[in-house]
Amino acid sequence: MSGIDCRFIRNFCIIAHIDHGKSTLADRLLEYTGTVAQRQMKEQLLDNMELERARGITIKARAVAMRLTRDGQTYELNLIDTPGHVDFQYEVSRSLACCEGALLLVDAFQGVEAQTMANAYAAMEHELAIIPVINKIDLKQARPDEVTEEMEHSLGIDPADVQRVSAKAGLGIEQLIDAILRRVPPPEGNPDAPLQAMVFDSHYDEYRGAITYVRIMNGRVRKGQRIQFLRGGTTHEVLELGQFVPHQQARTELHAGQVGYLICNIKSLEQVHIGDTVATVGSQVAPLPGYQQPKRMVYCGLYPSDGQDFTELRDALEKLSINDPSFEFVPESSEALGFGFRCGFLGLLHMEIVQQRLEQEADVDLVQTAPNVTYEVVTKRGQTLEIHRPQEVPDAGEIEEFRQPIVRVNFILPTEYIGPVMKLCQERRGVQQGTEYLSPTRAMVTYDLPLAEVIYDLHDKLKSATRGYGTMDYELVGYFPADLVRMDILVNGNRVDALSVICNRGDADRRGRAVVKKLKTEIDRHMFEVAVQAAIGSRVIARETVPAIRKNVTAKCYGGDITRKRKLWAKQREGKKRMKSIGQVDIPQKAFMAVLTTGDER
Amino acid sequence: MQVPEERLGTIAPPSVARLSSIGSSGEAPERLGTIAPPGKAEPRAVYVHVPFCRHRCGYCNFTVLAGRDDLAPAYLEAVEREMSWLGQPRPVDTLFVGGGTPTHLEPAQLARLLDRTSHWFPPTGRYEWSVEANPGDLRAEILDTLAAAGVTRLSLGVQSFDDRKLRTLERDHRAEQVLRVLDAARPRFESLSLDLIFAVPGESLDDWQRDLRMAVAAPIDHVSCYGLTFERGTRFWGRRLRGQLAPLAEELELKMYELAIDTLESAEFEHYEVSNFARPGHRCRHNEVYWRGEPYFAVGPGAARYVGGRREVNHRSTTNWLQRVRAGQSPVAESEQLAPEPSARERMVLGLRMRAGVDRDDFQRRTGYELDRLLGEQLPLLVDWGLLADDGRRIRLTRRGLVVSDTIWPRLL
Repeated sequence: MSGIDCRFIRNFCIIAHIDHGKSTLADRLLEYTGTVAQRQMKEQLLDNMELERARGITIKARAVAMRLTRDGQTYELNLIDTPGHVDFQYEVSRSLACCEGALLLVDAFQGVEAQTMANAYAAMEHELAIIPVINKIDLKQARPDEVTEEMEHSLGIDPADVQRVSAKAGLGIEQLIDAILRRVPPPEGNPDAPLQAMVFDSHYDEYRGAITYVRIMNGRVRKGQRIQFLRGGTTHEVLELGQFVPHQQARTELHAGQVGYLICNIKSLEQVHIGDTVATVGSQVAPLPGYQQPKRMVYCGLYPSDGQDFTELRDALEKLSINDPSFEFVPESSEALGFGFRCGFLGLLHMEIVQQRLEQEADVDLVQTAPNVTYEVVTKRGQTLEIHRPQEVPDAGEIEEFRQPIVRVNFILPTEYIGPVMKLCQERRGVQQGTEYLSPTRAMVTYDLPLAEVIYDLHDKLKSATRGYGTMDYELVGYFPADLVRMDILVNGNRVDALSVICNRGDADRRGRAVVKKLKTEIDRHMFEVAVQAAIGSRVIARETVPAIRKNVTAKCYGGDITRKRKLWAKQREGKKRMKSIGQVDIPQKAFMAVLTTGDER
Repeated sequence: MQVPEERLGTIAPPSVARLSSIGSSGEAPERLGTIAPPGKAEPRAVYVHVPFCRHRCGYCNFTVLAGRDDLAPAYLEAVEREMSWLGQPRPVDTLFVGGGTPTHLEPAQLARLLDRTSHWFPPTGRYEWSVEANPGDLRAEILDTLAAAGVTRLSLGVQSFDDRKLRTLERDHRAEQVLRVLDAARPRFESLSLDLIFAVPGESLDDWQRDLRMAVAAPIDHVSCYGLTFERGTRFWGRRLRGQLAPLAEELELKMYELAIDTLESAEFEHYEVSNFARPGHRCRHNEVYWRGEPYFAVGPGAARYVGGRREVNHRSTTNWLQRVRAGQSPVAESEQLAPEPSARERMVLGLRMRAGVDRDDFQRRTGYELDRLLGEQLPLLVDWGLLADDGRRIRLTRRGLVVSDTIWPRLL
């Protein structure tokens, strides 16, 4: 049944802000086309990692092939899921490159959000046919007319094209399917030309190795064929190919226009590059355009807790990187924390996901240092250094120029919060780029901001400044010079390298005071006084003292029940183990994040 | 990916490094010889718990039943039954009947309890038999009952000689009662002990000084001083959370503790354990059994025993304990067989609570572990910080170590 004419194939994705109902709509389409009779398997089929369900975010793309018959003609609908978060912009762009159409899904109450805009722009740049969809029209608070107006103002959508549905109640699904068949163009591509397939995603199967997701652009791929990855430079034999319906269904062939998977006995996802081109061995076809190396924007140190094995952590990281090639790690050592790894992530969300997976899947107890962005230093000798951690910053005398990444941030928010959000951005050295009214009540505010300010706490601050109604998205603008310094933290005179941060000189005093204050609360009292200092070079800019314990004695006869007491002490000892000892001072893991304290109570 | 394997080989946590420098491989310290594990010997001590009280004081988190005197007959039956499970009488050197308030029982009930106790645990030689008593309900009849049964030591829950402080503590007796009880008890018992509590909300250093002077002047042989602690599950805990009770400042509490030590020591009371003081020859030998890590039997709700190297605690709910014993089921709620090393470490901690400290040779003889190897880097570190004193033979707490001792124990376990 795989030999279907290109004219009857529709490849599309759904782009939406979190919680606007993407997964529910996908389920409904699967149900309508009879791909899934009822809610089998998991609640929402497209999000198949536990973590994703917990967060309600689709991190990794998945593709499902659906069949349906209209007027006696069988169609193949391939739904390619796209990650919504900014951290995965590149992955999104590769998924979009495999589609001819996109459903632009907007919540009938929430309206257009920052993520909707970012992804809609991306879809338009890829020249996809956009089908605007307003979801949740059955909600009491639904305001579909206003939302239509917002879509018209912000994205130039023709109100006549808007489909109104309720994915939850199953309203408007049939008309939506009709719109997909009618308005999404069939894929182009020549099944008889040499093979060219775009890798748009991959996942790792413990038994079968890498499962590579491809869109066939030209030609055909068959079982047993020898193929090569043009960028990766490796060759493989196709052991199995097929489509997800939504379970893995083997086929004998995939041809131009189709979407499916390849299994080639590949042992690590490191060999599968998103955006790579699959061709037959010996073929002279050109690689498909748009390929990029994943760019890590955020770095942090991950160290085993005291009493935990370095090699255990290394094994866990290796296992994880098999599954997630965009995550990078190299060994590093810290005077304070010993041997660990400097890890690079696509963004802050990506970092959190990796860290949670390490803890959940590998049961590794971690000390994480505060995340930092990648800086650039131009030395007096004219060298440009990439700085992944504060310890790498050269002496002040050697620095010609210190540069930081600047991002353009779009905020979408109710107009009454424009003031607070502008204040928020100005405090973070933002430069306003524009304000645009989407409707009488909602606006888009654009700022250029240092990425470092964005990753620390801007999202949380935005949520509290707008009572949860504001959303944001950002993209990298470039690296620009700034007056940056490295601030060090000393505990009883010992510099704790893992606590150093890079910050703006003008903020250093305030941040230094805030950090040592925070550390004072994080570090338990010891049997001796503990001094916590912040310093730039040799100049101390802030100091706090954790006083020594004066009295800690249970002057209580606990009868013969010694077990209870011993268990209590044993628990305290376990707690101590989970800390890092620096010159006899026990520093809890949480404290290594204390340097993120910005001291906003200015 | 490159991992600095060769460098890893030379880096080890300081504890391991130090240990290996004194000849260990960094693994668990080996035990020397084939000495019987501690606590495996036949116990020579017994604890009996009596849960009844007239009322529950706000700070108390012991196994206590207030206003359920109706359960006393059932309790007595169950105690006898639990004792009978020993199969045969077990001679002991020390007995301790605690609570609750053992003297809250009717004289006949108390007599029966003591009789059954001495039947199943015959006191031998120069035995010590302590009973806890509440000055509030201690009639002459009860004192006679105790003396007639062979009790040698009375431990009185005095807590204070200050009526205001007693009210705060929700005690049901008054200071003048205490003095009368002491006079009445003195001729009947070899040893009299009293408990005092300090750092009670509202208490000043002078208030505490007065309590200590009263204690020193009283006809007693032994004092236990406890700083008030707020325990989960007590009324005081809740009142503190609601801000109705304010704990004293740490610095003041420290001064009170030090004042107790100084006052009692200068009155010829030996400070022999963190919170215990005795005139010569009047240490509580039963409690010393606990602190030396020696075995003991136990009977009654919430009672803790150490028999055959196993630490057990009976169900803490009296009714639960009653039902289980009646049904012929084990009353044990928690049970733990101590491995040799944890057992040795525990003995170290308990031993250090005694001011005489721990003797290296004695420790090795009893536990099979060499003390220095067992403690590794901790010992020199704690000595360095001035918390432990080491004369080459014995390790003991310094005065400074004494007041922060709860911070030391986790390091030694």
